[in-house]
Amino acid sequence: MGMSAGGGGGVKAEPNVTPMIDVMLVLLVIFMIVVPQINAGFKAVPPDGQNLKTHPEEEGDQVLGIDDQGRYYLNKKPVRNEDLETLVKQIFDQPRDDYIMYVKAHKDLQYLKVVDALDRLSKSGVRVAALISEQLPGTESLVESDRLKIGSAK
Amino acid sequence: MSMSAGGGGSKLNNEPNVTPMIDVLLVLLVIFMMIIPMSRKAIDTQLPDPTPQPPSNVVPDQIVLEVLPGDKYAINKEPVEKAALFARLKAIYDPRPEKVIFVKGDTMVTYNYVVWAMDQARGAGVKVIGVPPK
Repeated sequence: MGMSAGGGGGVKAEPNVTPMIDVMLVLLVIFMIVVPQINAGFKAVPPDGQNLKTHPEEEGDQVLGIDDQGRYYLNKKPVRNEDLETLVKQIFDQPRDDYIMYVKAHKDLQYLKVVDALDRLSKSGVRVAALISEQLPGTESLVESDRLKIGSAK
Repeated sequence: MSMSAGGGGSKLNNEPNVTPMIDVLLVLLVIFMMIIPMSRKAIDTQLPDPTPQPPSNVVPDQIVLEVLPGDKYAINKEPVEKAALFARLKAIYDPRPEKVIFVKGDTMVTYNYVVWAMDQARGAGVKVIGVPPK
């Protein structure tokens, strides 16, 4: 409004960006709210690695989290230690495309805790445990097939 | 710049220049959008079959990499220096057709050492990582 008052005979080629900023700000706020919720529930820093395989996130992916206290989270919901087998069995007893369980465990956990979970998963129908790790900054996998983006195997 | 040209002589232009702010916001937005559909990076491990297997299935020449307390490693019970582990694994797996390894972590070690060992094994050409039952 101040702009139109200021202009005399000159043609203004500047677009009105205010609505765009509004939309951007709203989108930004939405993303800022959504991002922490994705990781909400449990605290775990996965270990670092170099030669990691990339799995695209899919709808039916099952994730078992093990936080720094050794507590279990199945798809971000805390589960009691003794309920783990039952709940996992319920999921993997049904016919599925894959029998992968993603395991996101805290890096400083005692391995006993992780291998114990893996043992119990194997008894509940899980065939492959994908141990979620973080790519070390500035490194690339030495395995040829990891670098290809397409055709990720089951 | 075009604003100062368009503004009439003595009038003060009190509209802030929002262009840098939009730039920053757009970059932030793009960063957040890239984080969300991120794919997971993981090391796949094969879990043991819970049903007991016939003993004939046991392959005698399997490779077992042990992760021992104190950042120590052993391949088939033979201790290997941490620095030499990768070269040793590569020497084993380059001529070997079966790219299978079993990574057995001591229960006292920290999880990230075991993942590190698996990571080295994958880098050395191992295709299948097995976790032996306790």
